[in-house]
Amino acid sequence: MSTLLEKHIVELLQERDEKAISLLYEHYGDTLLGVANKVVRNEELAQDVLQESFIKIWKKSDSYDSSKAKLFTWLFRITRNTAIDKLRSVNTKSDKEIQIDVSDVYNLGVNSTRPEFMDVRENLEKIETKYQIVLDALFFEGMTQQEASDELNIPLGTIKSRLKIGLRELKKIYGPTLLLVLSLNLIS
Amino acid sequence: MKEKIKTFLDSDLLESYLLGATSPEETLQVERYLSMYPKVRETYEELQDNLETYAKMHAVKAPEALKERILNSINKESNFKRNFYRMAVAASFAVLISAGASYFFWDKNQSLQEENSIVNNKIDDLEETMRAQLEDVRNQFIVLQNPETKKYTVKGNKKAQELKAVAYINPVKRLSYINVSKLPHLPKDQCYQMWTEVNGEMLNLGIIKEASSQEKLLALPYADDAVSYITIEPQGGNPSPTVENIVANIAY
Repeated sequence: MSTLLEKHIVELLQERDEKAISLLYEHYGDTLLGVANKVVRNEELAQDVLQESFIKIWKKSDSYDSSKAKLFTWLFRITRNTAIDKLRSVNTKSDKEIQIDVSDVYNLGVNSTRPEFMDVRENLEKIETKYQIVLDALFFEGMTQQEASDELNIPLGTIKSRLKIGLRELKKIYGPTLLLVLSLNLIS
Repeated sequence: MKEKIKTFLDSDLLESYLLGATSPEETLQVERYLSMYPKVRETYEELQDNLETYAKMHAVKAPEALKERILNSINKESNFKRNFYRMAVAASFAVLISAGASYFFWDKNQSLQEENSIVNNKIDDLEETMRAQLEDVRNQFIVLQNPETKKYTVKGNKKAQELKAVAYINPVKRLSYINVSKLPHLPKDQCYQMWTEVNGEMLNLGIIKEASSQEKLLALPYADDAVSYITIEPQGGNPSPTVENIVANIAY
């Protein structure tokens, strides 16, 4: 189901049709802003990151290869890397300019209390924090398991097992819901 | 084989690749594993799904205003690009045209210079000719108006009774001229030729052309006690005179 939408967007991108960006924003904007937010931990900065990412997506649209990655994976990579670059440049520029919240607790923010995200958030709460930490380390911080083990002061074996359980939990929760969310996206 | 796949999957390389955090060499390695082992491919697909799922859990409502901002800047970007290309094409044409024009003008300049040198040479030649002719005319004038100049009327002998010529000799200026005013008509294969004997040698003074001979003074080399002759020679002239064909002689 998602591949149909993906295909359509990819075609538009390759035709250099600006409608592709509209569609991408509608279907992936929230998630990608979440990714940016997760990395820079500042909503305003995350919006800048999202804007820069979309411009990069537009410019690099001919470099997308559907045989190598799902559309989301590609979008995620660009957004995450842009966010990391942003964080570095902000950190080197001035520490005073923007206070970066380094706490591991995720700030939901005002925008995030919209009802359509609620069940998603509830699901997130179903995953125990200890699994979330390793999933965050893997997906957002891009740590290797060894790095996560060092950073979090958890033995490598534990990291491996927690990750395995975390991913399994994710599959359990998202197996049916993901399909629902995607079909809702298609209908709307 | 299984061991190899397990080692690979345990290495975190696939996860790094998923996030786009691998080096070019690592990327090649991962892509090789992906194309070779279905198990790796399967794990990768699963990781991609997990990533999307997990990322969606952290979604934050992206404001509509940001969408407008993004679309505006993309619009500007493509406009700039379009304009840039248009300008680039225009600039290329301008360069091409100016290169063509440069070559054209260079070529033109080159041929003008050539022409200029030809014209200069012609002017030099003309000047030279003019000077020679002027000198000749001046000499003629000197001879004709000088009181010392003696005028001899020359008449043809039996062979050319109609021949009439006037010789002007100036011993002071050491100049002599002859004006052949009338020449009897000759067959086509014959011509009149002029000679002067100087110090016992016959000098060829050239062929007298019937039509142009009138009203024209012909310079003779001056020598004391010189004798000039007019002979009838075969058409085209003769290197030495045919004595029996002498039609007139001028002694001075």
